[in-house]
Amino acid sequence: MEWKVFLACAAGAHHRASAVPCQDAGHYQAIEGGVIGVVCDGAGSANQGHAGAQFLAQQVCMEIARARKDERWQDGDGVAARALVLAVLQGARNQLLENALAQELSLRDFACTLVGCIATAAGGYFFHIGDGFGICRQETGQTVLSRPENGEYAEETYFVTDETWQEHLRLTPIPLLTRGAVIGLMSDGTAPFAVDRQRTGFFGPFIDPVVNFLRDASELDGNRALLGVLDDEKTLSITADDKTLLLALAG
Amino acid sequence: MSNVIPDVALIDNSDERAPLVLVLDCSGSMLDDGKVDLLNEGLKTLESELKNDPITARCGRVLVISFGGDNNVEIMGDWTDAMDFTPPKLVAGGLTPLGTAMKCALDEVEAQKVQMRGAGVSYKRPIIMLLSDGEPTDDWQDVAADCKSAEAAHKVNIMAIGIGGQANRQILGAFSAKGALNLSGLKFKELFIWLSRSIQAVSRATTGGTVQLNPVDSWAQVQT
Repeated sequence: MEWKVFLACAAGAHHRASAVPCQDAGHYQAIEGGVIGVVCDGAGSANQGHAGAQFLAQQVCMEIARARKDERWQDGDGVAARALVLAVLQGARNQLLENALAQELSLRDFACTLVGCIATAAGGYFFHIGDGFGICRQETGQTVLSRPENGEYAEETYFVTDETWQEHLRLTPIPLLTRGAVIGLMSDGTAPFAVDRQRTGFFGPFIDPVVNFLRDASELDGNRALLGVLDDEKTLSITADDKTLLLALAG
Repeated sequence: MSNVIPDVALIDNSDERAPLVLVLDCSGSMLDDGKVDLLNEGLKTLESELKNDPITARCGRVLVISFGGDNNVEIMGDWTDAMDFTPPKLVAGGLTPLGTAMKCALDEVEAQKVQMRGAGVSYKRPIIMLLSDGEPTDDWQDVAADCKSAEAAHKVNIMAIGIGGQANRQILGAFSAKGALNLSGLKFKELFIWLSRSIQAVSRATTGGTVQLNPVDSWAQVQT
């Protein structure tokens, strides 16, 4: 099975107007027969949220790729996979803390959410802390979601940098994948138009034209086109938030 | 190859709401200096400001509670989306049952939350804005304590605002941990423009963000 992966991050009106950098970041890495992807959303209340998001997206991707070689990934019950993801996140947090202390800052200054996936034809996992969505849609339409976790209010969520991050780490198994499957990772700014109203999967009238286009696109053209969609002025009347979308297409 | 993806539907599938309750003094003293007329004008300004911003028009959800008469508290219509908000015509006269009105506001907020949760609608922290030109004529102390507790538990954000020189700012301030502010002159219009901008800020607040409201100098009296 071959994979094509596309990623775009667009700053929202909120941050553009105040000349604040986009707080979202995404990263992906090809592995043998599969893909690893991570999307992070820096907290608006953290002054280094964008730096935290960038660091963790890249670092976690890299370390998951390394940890994947561990045989325990193959255990079907998810317990071993959870332990491996916990270890990767713990390591990344430790490094981020070192960076923070070197700048006389705290981990909280780098607060961000994280939604990631590791997927091959044999299946895989979403790993998720906070809001955003992970969605896997098979060619048949069957869908698996990793939904956002919010507090009581829509603007409250959980961060990798929280003390209680382990309690909020959620792993969702991804089943066996066949050609035509689509995996999406997105920040909460993208969800209002990329997820359906019932929150059961992708919003077809949005995702289908995008996927049809990307199947025939080069990585460069596809990423540009995806950014064009996220930057479309119609999104400005939907959300003022930053918008990130990573799409992995199994072909 | 073109870099424009054709036929992509970009519509909002989310149902997020930013609830606002206005608790408005309609006691007899609001007839003095045409205060109630200015308040009615201010509500019309709020209506147009809310409707002018597409995100606020869709996310804002408004309820008006008036108090006056023979210790009457009236919920003036149902909760309405900002895009459908038509301000009620307020008529002044009678007493100031402010405590009962605030109790009613707290109850309405919690009932609305239950309804929204049941419908799978996510929401921002509700705002209650209290406007009064006097002091309560009913029992208010327990309700004021309940209001402060509700704020401390992050259930609601309360703004208490005094109108004119007869407003008892000390009592009004007991309803919010932030104390009370006084309206400068009778700048209802400026107040409601500010309120609409605040609802805009709340509607657009990014996840995990702290909502920074605009400065209040356009309408608040500077304390000396």
